[in-house]
Amino acid sequence: MRVERARPLLGTVVAVRVEGAAGWIDDAVARAFDAVSQVQRRMSFHDPDSELSRLNRAAVQAPQAMSASTWRVLRAALALARASDGLFDPAIGGRLVAWQQLPAPDSADVDPAATWRDVELGHDCRVRFRKPLWLDLGGIAKGYAVDRAVAVLRASGMRGGVVNAGGDLRVFGDALEVVHVREPNDPARSRPLLHLRDGAVATSAGYFSTRDGRSALVDTCGNGSLGHDVSATVCAPRALWADALTKVVLADADAAVPLLRRLHAQAALLDGAGAPRILPV
Amino acid sequence: MRRDFHVHWLLLPATALVAAPAAATTYFTVEQAQQQLLPGQALAPVAVTLTPAQAEAIEKASGVRVRDKTLKVWRAANGGWFYLDQVLGKHEFITYALALDAQGAVTGVEILDYRETYGGAVRNPKWRAQFTGKKYGAPLKLDADIVNLSGATLSSAHITDGVRRLLATHALVVAPTH
Repeated sequence: MRVERARPLLGTVVAVRVEGAAGWIDDAVARAFDAVSQVQRRMSFHDPDSELSRLNRAAVQAPQAMSASTWRVLRAALALARASDGLFDPAIGGRLVAWQQLPAPDSADVDPAATWRDVELGHDCRVRFRKPLWLDLGGIAKGYAVDRAVAVLRASGMRGGVVNAGGDLRVFGDALEVVHVREPNDPARSRPLLHLRDGAVATSAGYFSTRDGRSALVDTCGNGSLGHDVSATVCAPRALWADALTKVVLADADAAVPLLRRLHAQAALLDGAGAPRILPV
Repeated sequence: MRRDFHVHWLLLPATALVAAPAAATTYFTVEQAQQQLLPGQALAPVAVTLTPAQAEAIEKASGVRVRDKTLKVWRAANGGWFYLDQVLGKHEFITYALALDAQGAVTGVEILDYRETYGGAVRNPKWRAQFTGKKYGAPLKLDADIVNLSGATLSSAHITDGVRRLLATHALVVAPTH
């Protein structure tokens, strides 16, 4: 039996398509959406009651405890920040608020010079900020939520399926799925880009987020934004890394290659002019 | 999980491709969505047409424009409510349902139909009309071949706005508390 459902979550539309035994399948899909909702409740920048918002208000005064899942995502984000020398940076909330890409929290202002280096992560699920800053997990938590949903579906005995969180998707089971991507300079149109089995794919581009000439993709090396008339698609075993690595590939494709290799990932840069550029070569 | 991870890129030059329109999926008929959100409940349609003054009050309370003054609302035997609504984004046209309990608190939101298009067809009322009413039961196969679409995240802000508008409609017109 096959079931297909979609709900507005994580600020986008999350769709689940799954194959499994009738009688179990509806419950499995409901639990997969619950897992995504839990990630939203914990890691949303938009929700002032989320765990992340509490950290952003208080972690500069004293170390703050958090759930194991938020800690895992933050640890992964900081590991990628270190490995990419800041090309990926979860401490960019202040800049995105200034660009009106994120709502302003009602806490005191941030230090514009603060980066991921000012985030001190303990081993006991605690975090402390050395400077006032706003963490934004928007570049990685969606992928994590997709991984959680797939884990729940698998644990519920589902044979296979796809979880797609507004473009960050993961396939599981035996099926080889065709994945389309939007044309970066004409996002209403799409083309088939890859076949994928048992893995994740994510794409970043500025086409839906650009306002006042700036996308929601921060160029951490300069003052501007990324993803104008170009998109980066990354395939990886897990959606968390696929999601996060798209930002590194957009920022500096050459610097991304060793990271792609280490995380068993591959990428395609698409600029609309011709065949995609595949990394690593 | 890594043992089966497999990627095969389709390296055709863009000029060799006929770009297809973007995604479209039907998830539920109205009856299926009612069963999902209010299982086992008998539902009775409630006829409500907003007066201009009511529409204005809803717009003021929710900050969201009221496009359609004819509501699609059902009352459940247990006191719950089922709203059917449509929102129109820049790129997308979404039919969704909102379920409320007897106190007016949200118990669920489900998307019935999601489609994107190009060339502005989504803003054409005739094009939109083909998805309303009785045709929910017959999944359309316009461009349903594109099932897996990876891309920059499309915001669900229009659904969030729609839910805010319906909650204001419920509190001010359909089930005002005195």
